Amino acid sequence: MTDHSDDVAHLLLQQKIESFLYREAELLDERRYEEWLALLAEDVRYWMPMRRNVKFGELEREFTREGQDVNWFDEGKETLTRRVQQILTGVCHMVSNVQILDVKPSASAPSEVTVKSRFLIYRNRVETETDILVGKREDVLHRIDGHWKLRRRKIVLDQNVLQVKNLTFFF
Amino acid sequence: MATGRRYRGGLVDLRTGLISREIFVNEEIYAEELERVFTRAWLFVGHESQIPKPGDYFVSSMGEESAILCRDREERVHVFLNSCRHRGMKVCRYDEGNTPVFTCPYHGWSYAADGKLVGVPFFREAYHGKLDRSQLGLVEVAQLATYKGSVWATWDPNAPGFLEYLGEFRRYLDLTLDGWDGRDGGTEVLGGVQKWLIPCNWKFPAENFSGDSYHNISHRSVDMVGIGPSGSGRRDTRERLVARRLQICFPERGHQTGVYVLPKDQPTPPAYQQSPVVSEYFKHCEEERRRRRGEWGRVTGSPGEVFPNTALHPRQPRTFAVWHPRGPHQTEVWRWYLVDSDSPPEVKDFLRQYYIRYSGPAGLTEQDDMENWNYAHAASRGTIARRYPYTYEQGMGFEVENYEWDGLRLPGSVMDITEAKSSEHNLRNLYRRWAEFMDAESWNELATWRALAR
Amino acid sequence: MSVINLRHLQPGTKIGLADGSTVEVVSNPLDGIWVFARYLSSPRDTSLIGTEEMIFAQDIVEIR
Repeated sequence: MTDHSDDVAHLLLQQKIESFLYREAELLDERRYEEWLALLAEDVRYWMPMRRNVKFGELEREFTREGQDVNWFDEGKETLTRRVQQILTGVCHMVSNVQILDVKPSASAPSEVTVKSRFLIYRNRVETETDILVGKREDVLHRIDGHWKLRRRKIVLDQNVLQVKNLTFFF
Repeated sequence: MATGRRYRGGLVDLRTGLISREIFVNEEIYAEELERVFTRAWLFVGHESQIPKPGDYFVSSMGEESAILCRDREERVHVFLNSCRHRGMKVCRYDEGNTPVFTCPYHGWSYAADGKLVGVPFFREAYHGKLDRSQLGLVEVAQLATYKGSVWATWDPNAPGFLEYLGEFRRYLDLTLDGWDGRDGGTEVLGGVQKWLIPCNWKFPAENFSGDSYHNISHRSVDMVGIGPSGSGRRDTRERLVARRLQICFPERGHQTGVYVLPKDQPTPPAYQQSPVVSEYFKHCEEERRRRRGEWGRVTGSPGEVFPNTALHPRQPRTFAVWHPRGPHQTEVWRWYLVDSDSPPEVKDFLRQYYIRYSGPAGLTEQDDMENWNYAHAASRGTIARRYPYTYEQGMGFEVENYEWDGLRLPGSVMDITEAKSSEHNLRNLYRRWAEFMDAESWNELATWRALAR
Repeated sequence: MSVINLRHLQPGTKIGLADGSTVEVVSNPLDGIWVFARYLSSPRDTSLIGTEEMIFAQDIVEIR
């Protein structure tokens, strides 16, 4: 009989990671920000570079650099916590294309997972003010004391001129 | 009066302090201001530190139009209209980079970084070698000026030179461009220019940065959160408890800014206390500035505006913002952030993080502004709404010429709002100059200071 | 004849032009439309030999 235990471990992990991401989106959409903050590791890095249109051969300039340039977001838990205290707008997150890129040390006993996903964020305000933002996220999740925590999130939005007037929500 | 013009005198009435909503929402007036304001005024296009090497370029914007800021092989700085002379296609569709030539993707015409047309496909065959390429270089601005790293340009050959355009406002612009220790120049821009769209006329943010001291109520939520560099409030502002708070403008030029003036012999209170390195750096700079600048070292800036659409923020977050018109109902904001070039890496990084959380569309303070400008504009477009002018009466008649306080004279027309708390002095100045540009047929009428000097 | 992707032409590459000339790539602006090249031979005008010129993509017929 073929041993499927490795496949099963991957399937279970995929399920757990997707559940984490969906739960996280739910907390944001329900404005349960304190619970959302609890999903973040204490040393979380939350980074959203700005994008530039660049010529063929200069792709290294396509995104502003973490920790060096001006970015849309480039911060840790302290600033994220302050954002939660500021007025945030209600949005609706769709999360899809969840792909686990790397697992350490193994799918059966994972402690660190690198996962890529797509987001679609819908925002409607006041009356007809509607924004739809679509992009990619690359997350690193850590298992800390038996719970998954977000340790790092890179957000890529393919807009070199931001098409919305403000970013009063989390990706 | 020229026929067919939609703008007319009286829409901006500074005797009564009333300004018609038409100048913000009317599409024909908007088309006129592109012509009469944006092709004649000096506009901010970027910073030299964005293009350090030959072939470096940064695609900027002047009014609605795309303009290339670049450095040629002889290291000269140029600003060109980003449009091919053959059929008008953009010769550069990127935001920044380095290139020996700008090649139009449509028919392949190619221009060197000094603007010369150097490549014409089938020049020998199709044009029989007869096209006068020397007359078909990229369209270059009429005048360009680099000032302490900042780069400015105008399309009008008859405009006064940039320093004359600034007049005495130059001393206030220096507060943004000089090192914090008072050295001439010595600032650089951080990598990454923020660009975003806001649904309002460009004059909403322009008047806000000109000196809307009345809108602080809208930032109350962020004051309570506390994002300031010492851990509370929005900024380090303790010196303001003892300083004079002034609004200063130059009626002949259209530039304006807020400033704070400390009393004589009053040291600047400590700031940036979240980080000992940063706190020590600024303490050192303040002492140096007093030593270099003498009494002028008591002056610190707050938001201001070089007419028409370049905003200054000399105090941290130190930035330039340009309000690019994108139709009467939309503005594209571009934001550059400055730091002292010689400051330690810890200081640059501390400020960078502070700037990001304070400013721009993700900044905790300016999120509020964007919301207000958006809906103020939207609610002013209606047929009925347009019948009711905005009022700019606050503080009319209380301005002072030759203002002096505690041994320091400050150039410009000054409104002391230390006790009054607020005025619309600087806002009126913006619209006074705007109306003059809309009325005047040429710079002969606009350079009124020349007539006075004669 | 296959279309040559100009972006792949490195400095030093020898290319043949429609008029029978041979040129050597000096630098490539990577715009996909032009390369800077030096004339090695030209049946049309021998005075071109040694001079540098911008070469248009559609004038290039082969890599030599």
